[in-house]
Amino acid sequence: MSPSKQGGGPRAGLAEHGQERGRPPSKTKKGDLAKIAIERGVVAGDEWVTVPAARIREAVQAAKQDGFSFYSFLTCVDHLARADGRPPHTGQAAGEPPRFEMVYELRDLERSRLLRIRAFLSPGDPVIDSVHDLYGPANWDEREVFDLFGVSFSGHPNLTRILLPDDWEGHPLRRDYPVGGDPVEFSEEHQEWQTAPKQA
Amino acid sequence: MADGTEAGLIEAAGPGGVTISQQGSPTPGEEILTVNFGPHHPSTHGVLRLIVDIDGEVIRKVRPVIGYLHTGIEKTAESLRYQQAVTVTDRWDYLSPLFNNHSYALAVEKLMGVEVPPRAQALRVILSELCRISSHMIWLGTSGLEMGAISMLWYCLRERDKILDLNEEISGFRMHTSYIRPGGVFADATPRFLDLLDRFINSFPASIDEYESLLSENPIFKLRTQGIGYLSREDALQLGQTGPMLRGSGVNWDLRKSLPYSGYEKYEFEAAVETAGDCYARYKVRIKELREATKILRQALDTLPDGPINVDDRKLLPPPREELDTSMEALIHHFKLFTEGYSPPVGDAYAAVESGHGENGTYVVSDGTHKPRRVKFRSASFVNLQSTERMALGGMIADLIAIIGTIDAVMGDVDR
Repeated sequence: MSPSKQGGGPRAGLAEHGQERGRPPSKTKKGDLAKIAIERGVVAGDEWVTVPAARIREAVQAAKQDGFSFYSFLTCVDHLARADGRPPHTGQAAGEPPRFEMVYELRDLERSRLLRIRAFLSPGDPVIDSVHDLYGPANWDEREVFDLFGVSFSGHPNLTRILLPDDWEGHPLRRDYPVGGDPVEFSEEHQEWQTAPKQA
Repeated sequence: MADGTEAGLIEAAGPGGVTISQQGSPTPGEEILTVNFGPHHPSTHGVLRLIVDIDGEVIRKVRPVIGYLHTGIEKTAESLRYQQAVTVTDRWDYLSPLFNNHSYALAVEKLMGVEVPPRAQALRVILSELCRISSHMIWLGTSGLEMGAISMLWYCLRERDKILDLNEEISGFRMHTSYIRPGGVFADATPRFLDLLDRFINSFPASIDEYESLLSENPIFKLRTQGIGYLSREDALQLGQTGPMLRGSGVNWDLRKSLPYSGYEKYEFEAAVETAGDCYARYKVRIKELREATKILRQALDTLPDGPINVDDRKLLPPPREELDTSMEALIHHFKLFTEGYSPPVGDAYAAVESGHGENGTYVVSDGTHKPRRVKFRSASFVNLQSTERMALGGMIADLIAIIGTIDAVMGDVDR
């Protein structure tokens, strides 16, 4: 019963893990991230780059080739109605102020470095390319961002809600989602509770 | 939570909460059954639901369905002030509250450019290592229980209770301690705490020997873990695994070693690495981590420096009670802190700690106000759970229990 025979054996089921559904990785080579970046800097000791949202796959691919091959997390920040007008690190000042910031946190295990890639999305219909085939765990993280922020990922194999029930309305982590606006189920104020059949 | 509603899954609840349904018409020689596993199955460590396609007893597909324990912790943290949000971090991964406090405190301190004094750092290390032991105790006890070693749970809970007593002594709480806070720690170690800790460190190695004598050479345990749930080095890296999951596959990556925080570089210890990549290797990694944690505790206790336990910054932490009676300025600071809180500069920071489950981190975005714009908890269990299918494919359905146990996913951590 050698380990390699037991668990790692048939890998056929993995095909639908996303490999064939994702878009073919664009051709990038080492050092390309600097060309794609529109702004870069260091905040609180962490290195970051801002890239155009349309080129996120190229940027992530290039970062991977630069050694940032280990995925830490991916998330979104809603910059709705900031007191200072527009979010920082957006790259250029022209045009409609972006609302959603996608954040990709990648690690280089060899040199113990951390890189944050930012991409900004406009408020209307936020869509960005999926990177689930470049980094495995991005699959669930993208579903989580879709669930809680309503950002779509094109090329994702199974873009459905992950934490909330399927029939949930709205995206709770958006800043304009009302807190305390929902009826609390199974509480004493719940309508069904109050309108229980009389004979019961 | 969408996977459960996929077409073709006709559910009929059977005894014990296990649902069995048949999918499509069977092709000759291969009949795929879809079995619903959980969410209330005792071996799912909370409320994990797996939809498993099996061919005979061989697993062909595993789809985890999560979200049953989603409590919107990130949204709650956004609506609280920075010093209040510490309390929700306790409840995120409820088996390792101190790691969560620690990563949150480090992230806020990073944002504000604050360095805590040496005594606070040493106390953070002590409490973190105690928390690692208590988290591993729950893992060891429940995993043993699932594989038939029922007495493991009682032995492990016995030791865990001593750690909860220590938590209570230093912070006033047994589980949700909120002990590590931005700017330092909540309270100084009492003489009784140091005495209890000393006794615990002396007695714990014998307990580890006891666990090992029960499991390490136990033929049933070995049969159920050796060669089961194999995860190769490449797969572990590609799937972003951290903690014992990654080190069990032969990757030497421990945040305490690679990116030391809170003075971990001062202590002598080894990162536990095993190369076999199966459930038994991950068991060995965790057992070794228990021994290393005891070593760190001994060193930290012996070299515990004197001095303050908080940064001397009135804008971040309230002044001592005595000052309020004599100093107008102290009173103003006190009032401002508890009515308004503090406001880190605009920016974002990510800080991660090596918890019992892997890399638990906090990403904080500040927009210059006294409440965070966004708090993201990077949970190790959420990422580690995604490797279930890779490990279980081609194995037997009975092995799935061992595999879920070995991931050590805490559902509060997964669903947040």
